[in-house]
Amino acid sequence: MLRRARKTPDWRQTQGLNLATDTASLVLGIETTCDETAAAVVERRSDGSGRILSNIVHSQIEDHAPFGGVVPEIAARAHVDLLDGIVARAMQQAAVNFKNLSGVAAAAGPGLIGGVIVGLTTAKAIALVHNTPLIAVNHLEAHALTPRLTDALAFPYCLFLASGGHTQIVAVLGVGNYVRLGTTVDDAMGEAFDKVAKMLGLPYPGGPQVERAAASGDAERFAFPRPMLGRPDANFSLSGLKTAVRNEASRLSPLEPQDINDLCAGFQAAALESTADRLHVGLRIFRERFGAPHALVAAGGVAANQAIRGALQQVATAAGTQFMIPPPALCTDNGAMIAWAGAERLALGLVDSLEFAPRARWLLDANVTTPAKFANTRAGF
Amino acid sequence: MLILAIDTALDACAAGVLNTDSATMIGQQSLPMQRGHAEALVPLIARVIAEADISFEAIDRIAVTTGPGSFTGLRVGLSAARGLALAADRPVVGLTTLAAFAAPLVGETAADPILSAIDARHDQVYFQVSGGDGTTLLRPRVAPIDEAIAAALRFGAPRLVGNAAQILAARWPSDAAPPVSVDAKPAPDIAWVAWLGAAVTPENSPARPYYLRPPDAKPQIPVVQFAASPSA
Repeated sequence: MLRRARKTPDWRQTQGLNLATDTASLVLGIETTCDETAAAVVERRSDGSGRILSNIVHSQIEDHAPFGGVVPEIAARAHVDLLDGIVARAMQQAAVNFKNLSGVAAAAGPGLIGGVIVGLTTAKAIALVHNTPLIAVNHLEAHALTPRLTDALAFPYCLFLASGGHTQIVAVLGVGNYVRLGTTVDDAMGEAFDKVAKMLGLPYPGGPQVERAAASGDAERFAFPRPMLGRPDANFSLSGLKTAVRNEASRLSPLEPQDINDLCAGFQAAALESTADRLHVGLRIFRERFGAPHALVAAGGVAANQAIRGALQQVATAAGTQFMIPPPALCTDNGAMIAWAGAERLALGLVDSLEFAPRARWLLDANVTTPAKFANTRAGF
Repeated sequence: MLILAIDTALDACAAGVLNTDSATMIGQQSLPMQRGHAEALVPLIARVIAEADISFEAIDRIAVTTGPGSFTGLRVGLSAARGLALAADRPVVGLTTLAAFAAPLVGETAADPILSAIDARHDQVYFQVSGGDGTTLLRPRVAPIDEAIAAALRFGAPRLVGNAAQILAARWPSDAAPPVSVDAKPAPDIAWVAWLGAAVTPENSPARPYYLRPPDAKPQIPVVQFAASPSA
């Protein structure tokens, strides 16, 4: 199974430098930034292609469902209970020994800090035992690099990441070279879907429930706002739309099932129109600054929404680029994407010290300065 | 037997290696620390292993404090201990911070009970009461300070130990027999964590968090009224 373990004991010394001529590697990846406890082993061949040897994901959805959202302390408790068992399964399924790993990667942020601490500390401990390089991966970077694992996509390309924690348009120019073109100034898109579901009494996680209800609803019944429409920047805003839904729901209360369907349909249509417009602008900015992207790539749980997916496809076509979406299991949080991002960084000699601090917030684009008026908002992500 | 002990549950970041055959700590470090355990711990373990001049293969067992203490702190120690155990293929055991605080006071001839207490904030303490010989008199629990004192006094004037020892002493009722001794330390002695780790088994002392408090979360309450229960 395992072809190579050609690392020298002093590999750790090669920080910032790539002394290896053959950069093939075998990397363990750990993901614990939200409510998935996940580990995977990925092989990166010297030609730059990748192969997933194992990918174990434990979703904590059931633990959080009674609360209508992810409770950070419950998530952190579940991660520490489960993670070593999940890592053991990933290693077993990949038939890889810890000694033969070229690197140990963990999502070191951004995310819920309690979980990040568990994942990163576990990774550091594993790295220490066999003196294996540690790679502290930015969770967003892992989403950004996934299409290179699944489709060997060449740089540059445009990423639309929309999940419960993030809503961003990112120009992916190279490993470690990202420019954030747009982000949400308040709620993340998945968060807005979940909150709308919660206020309408739909079970958690609410995104798919909203989509289902919307399918039998009348999107025209309510005139919900289309946030940010027509603005020259590529940012998102969802909290005003969410509030509009809440106000309408309170006004109608008590709600009939058809009211709920119509509210969901109206909300989804508004979110969709706003998203399409924001991406249209984002792709235009991309082209102006970096030339034509090789693809528009979607990632994150929101990309599972068929209506949004359809809108993204149209936006990509209109912009003359292809639309790509990794398989669902690699779109939502998983360990394989962390392992892959770790392998890509390792191939460039980008490894981290065992003192690396877990980060609740971690901008993908280190050069981005958050506009002052958004300083205390989610734009800081 | 070589035991690697780890404690980050309270206001220290500590690790040490105990050689039970020679009854010596062949490497140890303890840094006073209120936050930053996640950055400090693994490099600190690396230094302790280097000081002990051993490899991970030589270690027979890993021991870690499981709490009660800082939720985040104890998870740092447990994550490191369980990660090391997995990668090195060694057993890992868990000890409570309350037991680690009490351990130095336990003796065959010591008669006075031991009240081991940790500050749980909000005017509460995590505590346990044990006999001078180490037998359990009151299992670990969390309670208001005055209740903890009253519960302990049923067994006679105790020796106070733990990071809340001074807090308890200050609140001791004037009409009760005063504490026999007050031994306030910010964190357990890492050597005692190691010794306790040598005495237990992974089966009866698993390396699992010992929070003593549920997560602070309440189930959701709908904000709008529904005419009929919505379809799921």
